[in-house]
Amino acid sequence: MATTWAWLVLLFPLLGSITIALSFRALPSKTAGLLGTAAIAAAFVCGIVVLVTLLGEDPEARHHASSLWDYASVAGLNIKLGIYVDPLSVFMVLVVTGVSTLIHLYSYGYMQSDEGYHRFFSYLNFFVFSMLLLVLAGNFVLLIVGWAFVGFASYALVSFWYRRKTATKAGMKAFVINVVGDIGLTLAAFLIFRELGTFEYQDVFAKAPHVFHTNEWTITAICLLLLVGAFAKSAQLPFHTWLPDAMEGPTPVSSLIHAATMVTAGVYLIARTHTLFVLAPTAADIAAFVGLATLLVAGTIALVMTDLKRAIAYSTMSQIGYMIMGVSIGAYSAGMFHLMTHAFFKALLFMAAGSFISAMANKQNIDEMSGFGKAMKFTSITFVCGALALAAFPGTSGFFSKDEILAYATDRGGMYLIFTVLGYFGALLTAIYTFRLVFRVLPGKPCKEAQELIDTGHLAHETPRNPATGEEEDTDVGFPGAEHHIAEQSPGMKIAMGVLAFLALFAGFVQVPGVDETITHFLDPVFADSPLAAIVPTVSASWTGLAIGAAISIAGIGIAYWVYILRPETPAALIRRFRWVHTLLVNKWYFDELIDILIVRPALAIGRFANRVFERFVVDGLVTGTEETVRGASGVVRAVQNGFVRSYALLLIAGFAGLALYFLIVQS
Amino acid sequence: MNIEWYIVLSALLFTIGAVGILVRRSPMVILLCLELMLNAGNLALVAFSREVGNQQGQVFALVVMVIAACEVVVGLGLIVAIFRRKLPIDVDILTELRG
Amino acid sequence: MISVLLWAPLAFGIVGLFLPKRVVGWWAALGTVVTLGVAVGMVAGFDGGSSGLQYTVDTPWISGLGVDYSLGIDGLNLFLVVLTALLWTGGTAFAAFRGQERPQLFFFLMLLAETATLGSFLAQDLLLFVLFFDFMLVPFYFLFGAWGSDRKDGPTAAAATLKMMIYTLIGSLLMLVGAIAAAIISADGGHLTFSIAAIQHQGLDVDSQRWIFWFFAAAFLVKMPAFLLHGWMPDAYRAAPLPVLVVFSGVLAKVGAYGFLRVVLPLFPAATVEFQEVVLIIALASILYGSVMAFTQTNLRLIAGYSSVAQLGFITAGIFALRADGSDGAILQMVNHGLVVAPLFIIVAILVERTGTEDIRKMGGMALRAPVLAALFLIVALATLAMPGSSNFIGEFYILNGLFQAKIVFALIAISGVAMSAYYALRLYQGTMHNRGPDGLMSREISLRDAVVLAPLVLCILALAFYPQLILHRTAPTVQQTVASVTGGKAPEATLAKSAEPRSDEGWTAYAPLNDTTGTPER
Repeated sequence: MATTWAWLVLLFPLLGSITIALSFRALPSKTAGLLGTAAIAAAFVCGIVVLVTLLGEDPEARHHASSLWDYASVAGLNIKLGIYVDPLSVFMVLVVTGVSTLIHLYSYGYMQSDEGYHRFFSYLNFFVFSMLLLVLAGNFVLLIVGWAFVGFASYALVSFWYRRKTATKAGMKAFVINVVGDIGLTLAAFLIFRELGTFEYQDVFAKAPHVFHTNEWTITAICLLLLVGAFAKSAQLPFHTWLPDAMEGPTPVSSLIHAATMVTAGVYLIARTHTLFVLAPTAADIAAFVGLATLLVAGTIALVMTDLKRAIAYSTMSQIGYMIMGVSIGAYSAGMFHLMTHAFFKALLFMAAGSFISAMANKQNIDEMSGFGKAMKFTSITFVCGALALAAFPGTSGFFSKDEILAYATDRGGMYLIFTVLGYFGALLTAIYTFRLVFRVLPGKPCKEAQELIDTGHLAHETPRNPATGEEEDTDVGFPGAEHHIAEQSPGMKIAMGVLAFLALFAGFVQVPGVDETITHFLDPVFADSPLAAIVPTVSASWTGLAIGAAISIAGIGIAYWVYILRPETPAALIRRFRWVHTLLVNKWYFDELIDILIVRPALAIGRFANRVFERFVVDGLVTGTEETVRGASGVVRAVQNGFVRSYALLLIAGFAGLALYFLIVQS
Repeated sequence: MNIEWYIVLSALLFTIGAVGILVRRSPMVILLCLELMLNAGNLALVAFSREVGNQQGQVFALVVMVIAACEVVVGLGLIVAIFRRKLPIDVDILTELRG
Repeated sequence: MISVLLWAPLAFGIVGLFLPKRVVGWWAALGTVVTLGVAVGMVAGFDGGSSGLQYTVDTPWISGLGVDYSLGIDGLNLFLVVLTALLWTGGTAFAAFRGQERPQLFFFLMLLAETATLGSFLAQDLLLFVLFFDFMLVPFYFLFGAWGSDRKDGPTAAAATLKMMIYTLIGSLLMLVGAIAAAIISADGGHLTFSIAAIQHQGLDVDSQRWIFWFFAAAFLVKMPAFLLHGWMPDAYRAAPLPVLVVFSGVLAKVGAYGFLRVVLPLFPAATVEFQEVVLIIALASILYGSVMAFTQTNLRLIAGYSSVAQLGFITAGIFALRADGSDGAILQMVNHGLVVAPLFIIVAILVERTGTEDIRKMGGMALRAPVLAALFLIVALATLAMPGSSNFIGEFYILNGLFQAKIVFALIAISGVAMSAYYALRLYQGTMHNRGPDGLMSREISLRDAVVLAPLVLCILALAFYPQLILHRTAPTVQQTVASVTGGKAPEATLAKSAEPRSDEGWTAYAPLNDTTGTPER
């Protein structure tokens, strides 16, 4: 029963995508947008039905597998088109479809004047379908399929404005790095198949504990390969460079794919395969440390980014670092909880940022923004709601989720205290960089665009330019549309942001330590087999953690207030003082350059070498060499044919004489 | 009569023909020498045929004669053609077939 | 029925010679459609559970030499035959829409080529196979040479074609020698026969297998083309007329890979095992070299051409994993690759018509007014890079899985080709469709007549993406048998899945030693 509804969850977005794509000439654009939104909403409703069905069952029996047909099952590889429904996948389905519905609603208004409206909604529906396929997949092959589909959807939407060179380049980068991740997953699947002879989740997780010894090299290798996939998708070091560039896409895309859903797939993967990670503690620790490193590196970069969307993107990386850290050290439901709250407040932040950017006529530089608090009240309020949740202000959703991870790390103790300490340091950074954005954009004397909005109620209009390069653009297909839309003037955007603001502030109350802990109870059956799930921080320890978290959050906000409002000259002074640190951060720790030198350039150099030298001298050389040999040999033969009949005769006679002589000798 | 005599005669004729081909430059004479060699072969064939006592060798000899006749026709035709074009009748100068 | 399939194109071609210029293209297209219909009918009537030959015809042809007119279909060639019929339909229709010079002769040669290609897929007699294999070249020689385009900065079409002929003929002649030698040696003074099944039954001694193996391998590797033997490819691809290239690159390369499965594995099992790694190294080199070249080329045809080199490398690697899954994947991938490379060349032709250049650097922004073309191209490009979810991915997955379980190091190297394919396929798409085009370049939507050709092919790609089992299921029994003839009858799965029992140290890396095998004939 539950699985039938789960199939419907998959079906609606796919149908939506195909319908919109095929009817792009016939359907008016508004209808297309509504159709896309309705498809996702329908999927959300089906997801709720699945949830209700599951809740009606015994907690131990809340997992179902179902398959439609043999996808590719010969020669011992038994690959079915199958899904797996359990609390974890239903949790993800609800988060994905819920947030997606709101973002579709937002896009309905935000993208209204774009020439590629149908294409946008078709891609967006396709993305939701892929993401749902990823979370519902019942075996590793379908997981890889979903994994790659979201990668493609991400590519298609990042380079949605495909006549911007920067956008196409960013899309390519995102795609290729994600393919590297796919390859990691594929190799992991091969290795799993070699050891266990199956790709099905249920069989793999049932067999694995009996086959592998803890920390055996095979299981460690499997987990590390899975991590390659997870890191590439979730933008963790060193595969993170694509995410900031991916901000070239339209803002709803950044909100949906690069904040709320797709980039958290790595977290889901680790949670899903926790049975394997328990068997490979080394790999799990590596994952946790990478998560920690990412959260610190990204947090520091976010401090100096002047591009509004990129700053939020680095914040996303940093928050995913928390989640990866959480699910790797064993705080599964805490990690998933943070995934959920993060989806709410980060989607909201991007939506608000999109609204600001629209008001700025597509400029994204926060140096040029100020005074929007007066000009755009609704957007500003929701932006602050999101920022409070991100900075883990006491009582907001982010407050409960982030601190739960850190409380677990404390409780596990030993080496894991490092995660607590540095995690709290990261929280301080988070609060500072978040409110840096708030204090730069909202207060102060309204900038030119904000003033125009206040005075006339109209949005500023300028020659459209690429925010990254300043190149002049037109407003035809493949570029942002002529008109921009802000939340204040678009009901769809307003509803979406309002709902999310509410969730960002209050969603934390479903999981208050010692009070309700709904998420933990719901997800418990999934993680029951992990010994790490038995570690539960006591209520008092959790509240201590929350208290520390609250103090740090308020301190961070205070520092930001002091630096950016009370003493606005400090940032410049700090930059002068620590110039090299600033340079390092502005250049994003030089990761792009490193990858360029280590991978891109050598590959291109090999290609050039192959083209210029190898092809010409070796491959053609083979031909030319053969030709020369034949020509030389034929020259010798030709020399005999001198045209003198008598010399032919002589040769003939000599030949016969030679033969006769030979036979005579042989005879005797 | 003993077979050796025939063979020796045949060999002598053949050698005369071969040497003639090698040393003379006139196509006419070369053609004659060729005939001489063929007939040397014929002589040997007929001799062996008698020695062995069946007719196969003689049949071969007849075939060779027919071929020789054809060859003379072609050869003389060529020589006439060369003569008509006022080309030198000398095989050392006619080397158009050089590869 | 099978003879109808084989000779129908030629019959249509001969009739077409006497038809007026206007209709001959359509007549030829009709001929290919009829052939396709027969081929599809054969799939419908095919018994998927059986590993043996079906629809067989076997009559003595040159009885003195033991050469039979012997045709048959099994899991190995079933879908390759369908692919051939399908791509010829596409290519011929595409050419018919465009109009050709001397159309009667052009379409006669096209259809002649189809018969020859079908013949080499269907032949179950070694000499018949070799004859059809060589005969394929004749029509293509004329098609490339006479209808091809001369380059200003390079060899003329005739010269490029000659280069191709020399390469392939050397391979073919070696194969002819190998075929005759195989028949004579295996007959061992007894009754001479060229029937593949009979030769397999009689067996060959190991020493002969060694050299005959390479004679056949040479022909097949040149045809593919594999690394170091691909010298003819760049010039020939640049010279060839595009409608012909559609079928040439879509089908002919597969004949080589198919030859390995049909001839080399069953007839030379000992040599196959012995030279497994050598061939794998060639295959890997093809993958890496083809990929690297594909992402540095600027000519559209050559990007597609070198990507084929890489893909055929994957297919060869799959076959020489010597596991059922590898070879299953290889056959699936042959069909898949044909299905993507043919539309790719059609799209290239469309783009060249719109831009007047084949240089990717001078293109761009073509998606602007052509959303349908862009969508079709996007699907093809994604299938080319073996996007998971496409049937190409399943093919590569099976191939790499086979290789991984057989020779793990080779699989690790080969898989880097996947990442590179993502780059070159997207570069091809982006470079032409995205970014801003050069000034004065007009984007135009795909015309209806081109869409009629292109859309069905893309639909086939999509359909297979949902149900690759369609092919896998029908090929598996025969492949199982073919591979078993090399590995000695053991099901490869038996060597893996350690499950409960402790794993022995070799097992998955090494095959059973040759003298243990029962299926390897040694005399």
